[in-house]
Formats: sequence, structure tokens, C-alpha cells
Amino acid sequence: MAHVTAAGDGVYRVEVDGRIETVYVAGSAEDRWVFWNGRAFHLDARAQSASAGGRTHRAHGARRQLTAPMPATVIDVHVKPGDTIHKGQTVMLLEAMKMELPIRAMEDAVVAAVHCRKGDLVPGDAILVELE
Amino acid sequence: MLRRVLIANRGEIALRVIRCCRELGIESVAVYSDVDAAAPHALAADRTVAIGPARASESYLSIHRIIDAALTSGADAIHPGYGFLSENAAFADACARAGLTFIGPPAEAIARLGSKIEARRLAAAAGVPTVPGETPTDQSDRGIRAAIDLVGLPALVKASAGGGGKGMRAIRDTAELEPAVQAARRESIAAFGDGTLYVERLLDRPRHIEVQIFADGHGNAVHLFERECSVQRRHQKVVEESPSPALRGALRARMTAAAVAVARQAGYRNAGTVEFLVDGDAFYFLEMNTRLQVEHPVTEQVTGCDLVRAQLLVASGDPLPWDQTAIVQRGHAIEARVYAEDPEHGFLPQAGTLLLYREPHLPGVRVDSGVVEGGSVPVFYDPLVAKVIASAETRALARARLVAALRQYPILGVRTNVSFLLRILEHPRFVSGDVDTAFLDREVAALAAEDEEMPPFLREVVTGAALLGARARGSEHSAMDHSVWDPWRT
Repeated sequence: MAHVTAAGDGVYRVEVDGRIETVYVAGSAEDRWVFWNGRAFHLDARAQSASAGGRTHRAHGARRQLTAPMPATVIDVHVKPGDTIHKGQTVMLLEAMKMELPIRAMEDAVVAAVHCRKGDLVPGDAILVELE
Repeated sequence: MLRRVLIANRGEIALRVIRCCRELGIESVAVYSDVDAAAPHALAADRTVAIGPARASESYLSIHRIIDAALTSGADAIHPGYGFLSENAAFADACARAGLTFIGPPAEAIARLGSKIEARRLAAAAGVPTVPGETPTDQSDRGIRAAIDLVGLPALVKASAGGGGKGMRAIRDTAELEPAVQAARRESIAAFGDGTLYVERLLDRPRHIEVQIFADGHGNAVHLFERECSVQRRHQKVVEESPSPALRGALRARMTAAAVAVARQAGYRNAGTVEFLVDGDAFYFLEMNTRLQVEHPVTEQVTGCDLVRAQLLVASGDPLPWDQTAIVQRGHAIEARVYAEDPEHGFLPQAGTLLLYREPHLPGVRVDSGVVEGGSVPVFYDPLVAKVIASAETRALARARLVAALRQYPILGVRTNVSFLLRILEHPRFVSGDVDTAFLDREVAALAAEDEEMPPFLREVVTGAALLGARARGSEHSAMDHSVWDPWRT
């Protein structure tokens, strides 16, 4: 077990094999952030329980739905319920931070529902399209 | 001398200008949108004016709101920073009509150089070579296609009014043509309110090297040497440095002289940057940026000249504070742009609260930032968090210093590109200085790869630190579980 000493607000000195490392920790138990030597790690308990993949990223959403990676404006919707879509196909175009963000299908599927319209402002993680 | 300057910008550049005003005894006026009421730039200025909703088009990009704010606050000049209205000739003109000094070039120079076709004509008239390209008068998809046929593939379609990689698309195959042209047009309208497109031949592995110039209202025009900006991702600069590892004495002399010739030809005043593509010993005029650049600090570090201070002096009617003969490059400086973005997932911009944010304090390291711990990175604007500039006697030492600084720069709560920057700085091609504008796009898959697993001792720290807090020190417990992520903590 590494020996940990608090060295300030969110700062810890850790003795590992006789070497002292400085580590920064922030966030809650469910949403923990750690920094060491130029690398930041995000331990997101919510994302990890939602998928078996370990270090997942919430931006990519679950398998059967396509979600907004961040708050954005819908600038175009290319699909409607019943459409067959193919892996890699752009189903929707969002805009945020002055850049276009294409939303692409991650697998072949049929569109079950579309939850937004052109011009809508959608929050981060909003479900845009549900797939069958 | 100017008495009160309104800064029509936000983030690090607004802070940079506010601090410089303070040094010169000029009062500063910050403007802020609804989401920026507690932003560092709004808290740093002598006066503040609210200018509207978060959406930039209704606040930082609104000419009449900015002019109104300047008039009601009694400002006598406006500094536009970079981005937003900085290269908008209509804005510079509106300032003049309202009796306000625009801290930048004359509106006519912005208009001429802002149009890529005019700028190329001007460079040619100054005897400076340009890359083959044109702005078609027929701006329909068909007209753009005809222009691409003329210039040849691979071609680049870009916003005539733009910069910063927005509204820009590379076309290598005719099949990509139509969607690329339409996307470029849409982005161009969204970012600049003007969908006019320019088409040019894409050079294959050129370097991007730019020359800082400065002119006053007394007939003086000087250069402050070059900046190497070849490390770009999709035409967005990521790492910049001065001097360029690629320039030898004779080529440097020809390029700096060409840059000054373009500035003189344009009737230029204040700070500007002449961008070139360099292919071996040949160089081509790319465009002139009629504003202060994001990467201006590398020039300041190697020349010792304060460009923002000179901007304020020249706008006040003073002559340039330096002669050409007094300006020398000394040592080496490298800048890394720290962005709130996720390199592992397509560089998606990130927004959120900075739970922990500590800037490195090292000799020879300058951090120009616009955020504080507990503050937020809003979704509405450019995700630049900070610029870290390391300077030293040699390139190798500056690089080592920048690596050390980034390793000691914890930013938690929002994903950033810090580990991506470190991989660039440690890439053998970057270490040797052998980079071209396609380097980063070629290597991006490897450089943006997911970080390896967290070292086991770090997992122990997370639990160990929590245990330590719970067991030994009540105050430590509260530090772990509350104040660390309390956004209201000072």
C-alpha cells in the first residue's frame, strides 16, 4: 500500500517504491478526477455502471440510442422513424462552439423515434434518436 | 494617450489587454454576456458592461451592443482582441463613425486584406509570390466546382471572410466535393455571417511560417521575425514557436522583407501577421491577419517587445516604440495551446466546472489563461483554456521546460488536451523540428490514443486519500468530500 500524505487542498504526496509522487484529486466518489505527471484520469462511476467497457465516455451514449455529446443546436435531421440506417451514416448535424458535429450511426439499425427537430437547442446527453 | 479602453472580447486575451491597460494607466472596460458575469475578465476590469445573452451573435459579435457599451461607459477606444469582431471592417468603421478609436488597422486595410482575392492581388503588387487560387464570382455549387477544376486537386475550400480553420474543407476527390462545399458554406455563414468561399491549391507538405509586423501612423513599419506554426490539427494551430527551426539567414531575410512590403502596400497600421507557406526555399503569401494573434507571446518572449503595449501606444498616435535595428531574436520560445477538448473522442469540445485548476510556476514559463479554479468553461465560446509559453536559451531547453510545465499543470473537472500536447512535444519529429502542416493530421491517431490504464498506485491514492481523510483528520475529510469540488470556494 502506497503511503499517502495530504499536502494541500486536493494535493497528495505519495511514496511509491521510495519515490515521492505528487497527485491531485478532485470530485465526488461517483465522479472522481485524478491528475499525475501530465495525465488526467476521470473515474466516472455512473458511466462505468452503465456499460461493461470500463473507461467509457458518456458522450457516446448507449447502444440503442444516439445522444448529444454536448449542449448543441440541431442544424439538420437526416432521418425519420422507420428509416434503415447504416454504420457510419450521418443521421443528424449539430452545431456547438462554432463547429459542426455530425452524429453518426454506430451500427446498422432501423430508426424507432426521433426526439428533436431542426433548430432545437438540445442539452448534453439528450437522446436524439432511438433505434430498434 | 488613450484614457479608457473597452475590450470587446473575453477569456485570456481580454485579461491580457486589461493588464496592459493597467500598466499604462489606462482604464479598462470589460463587456460580458449573461454566462460570463463572474468570468475572470469581467472581474479584472475597472468597469464592466453587460452586453446580452450567451449566444455570441447577440453579445460579443453584436456591433451595435459593443458600440453602445463603449459610448455608455465613456470609453474612447475599443480593443477587439482576436476572433469575434477583430477582423470585421464594418465594426472598425462603426467605431470610427461613433468617434471611437479602433485599436487595430484602418477599416480599409481590414476590408482589403480580409478578402482573400484582394489580399493576393495586393501581395502580388508588392512583389510577393502567392499560391494558385481564386474566389469565383459565381458562388453556386457549380461555380465553386469550376474554380476547383481550374486550380486542380487536391484543393482547399475556405471562408473568404474567415480564419482559424472554420468554414474550411480539403477536397482530394470529386466525390467529396458537394458535401464539403456545402459544409464550408454553412460554417462560414455561422461563424462569420458571410458564405463567400475561396478556392486554392493545397500544397502537399508545406510549413506554415508567419511574420509579425507592426506599423505606426508616422510611416514606420517593422517586422518582429517569424513564428513557426506548422503543428496544426485541421488548420487549427496547436503548438507555435519562434524562431522557426527551418529558416536560415537568407530565407528569413527575404520573408521578413516581403512581410513588411505587404504591410506597406496595404497602408497598414498597428499589429499584423503575414502568413506564408514555405516549401524548401520557396515561400508563398497565404494571407494577412489584421489583428493580434493568439500566438503573439512567442514573439514577445524572444524579442522582449510587448505587442499589446505597442498596440495601445500606436493607437494613441505615438510612433513605434522600437527601431528595426533594435529588434533581435534571442533564445527560443514554444507555446502550447491548452484546450478543453477530448482528443480520445474526436477532439470534441468540453464544457464544465474546473474542480481543480493549478497553473505551473516555473522560471521561463508564462501562462496566459482566462479561467480560475471553481470557474467554468462555457459551451458557447472557443474552448481555449490557456496558452503555456516556455522560453530558454535553445530550442531543446525550451521544449524540455514546456514538457515540465505541462506535467505540473493539473486541470480537473473538464477534459483537456494536455496529455496530447505532451505526446506532440515528445514526438521524434517535433523534437528534431522536422514538421510540416500535415504532421499532426498524419500522426493524430497515435498521438490522441487513449491513455494507458491508470497506474495501480493511483487507484490506491484515491482510496488511500479518502481513508486518510476519514481516519486521521476531520478537516482533511471535509477537504476530500466537499470543498474540493465546491465551485463557490475561493
